[in-house]
Amino acid sequence: MQIAFLDAEHGPRETTGRVDGDAVLISAEDVSALTGWTRRPEGLCRDDVCVPVRDAELDRDEAIDIARMGAALGRPVVVDAAAGVVAWGEPSAARRGPIEAGVAPDFTLPQLAGGDFTFSSIGRHKKLLLAWSSW
Amino acid sequence: MIVGVSFDDTAAIAQEWVDAADPTPTFPMLLDRELLLGELYGIYNVPSVVWVDEDDRIARAPVIAPGDDMFKDFTNIDSSVHHAQLRAWVHDGTPPPPSGHEKLMLPTDAEQLARLERRVGAYLVRSGSAAAAEPHFERAVELAPMDWTIRRGTLPLRGDDPFGEKFFAFMGEWAEAGQPGYGSADPGAPG
Repeated sequence: MQIAFLDAEHGPRETTGRVDGDAVLISAEDVSALTGWTRRPEGLCRDDVCVPVRDAELDRDEAIDIARMGAALGRPVVVDAAAGVVAWGEPSAARRGPIEAGVAPDFTLPQLAGGDFTFSSIGRHKKLLLAWSSW
Repeated sequence: MIVGVSFDDTAAIAQEWVDAADPTPTFPMLLDRELLLGELYGIYNVPSVVWVDEDDRIARAPVIAPGDDMFKDFTNIDSSVHHAQLRAWVHDGTPPPPSGHEKLMLPTDAEQLARLERRVGAYLVRSGSAAAAEPHFERAVELAPMDWTIRRGTLPLRGDDPFGEKFFAFMGEWAEAGQPGYGSADPGAPG
């Protein structure tokens, strides 16, 4: 079935998966493309890091239980199997780091006027980020 | 350079406000429907500003900074205080003074999870599944009841008035909890 995979940086991306009860299972290949984490014999790996997997129920045939994968990586994940939606999150420590260090994270967001805007494209100027809303 | 970022859910809603602004903003106006900047910069309410210097260091962590005094009677925030501080920083490099409410808000696990729940709820509303969204919004509010981007931000997504009964009930809770948050640039304003 179609699964909507959400994260903060990308918004919703469509992928395919299987639903089994409350679990959403996504192929290891798709998981790797979506998250950057690859399933290897050593565990779940990204760049030079491999996290060993001790959860016997994480792998389901050729697919991965995405909620269990999040747990294995210490990441928050919300799964709504009935609706076919997964939200993949960063651990709070990952978000705390830059804020505590006083380093402004880069980001890319769509412009109301069309096209994307990348914060770092501004270059060496003082910048004022103004977050607002209609509510 | 100013970068305006709307925490609204659709470009149409944000654009209405931009169109109504006088003078028309000439700086980039972005749509952040996933509230990415809430996560990246620790932004918990609007309108908030973050000052970033030439070296991409956070010169000032988020503070509430209304553009004008339209809601001054409600918030007790004098908008000119921040603007004077900003001018001093831009022109002379003067660092921001302590506002008296200085509190670096760092995201907690519960807040991160709340953000995910809100994200799922918003996606479901956009997809026409408001009923399926409800439990996610409930859970988001349970996890982060004092995060205005969640507590107030979800109201329009749930068909509620962001200036209605539920909002005022939240205000009461928030006041009772000691007005948690990073407060404004105005040391004369409460919370």
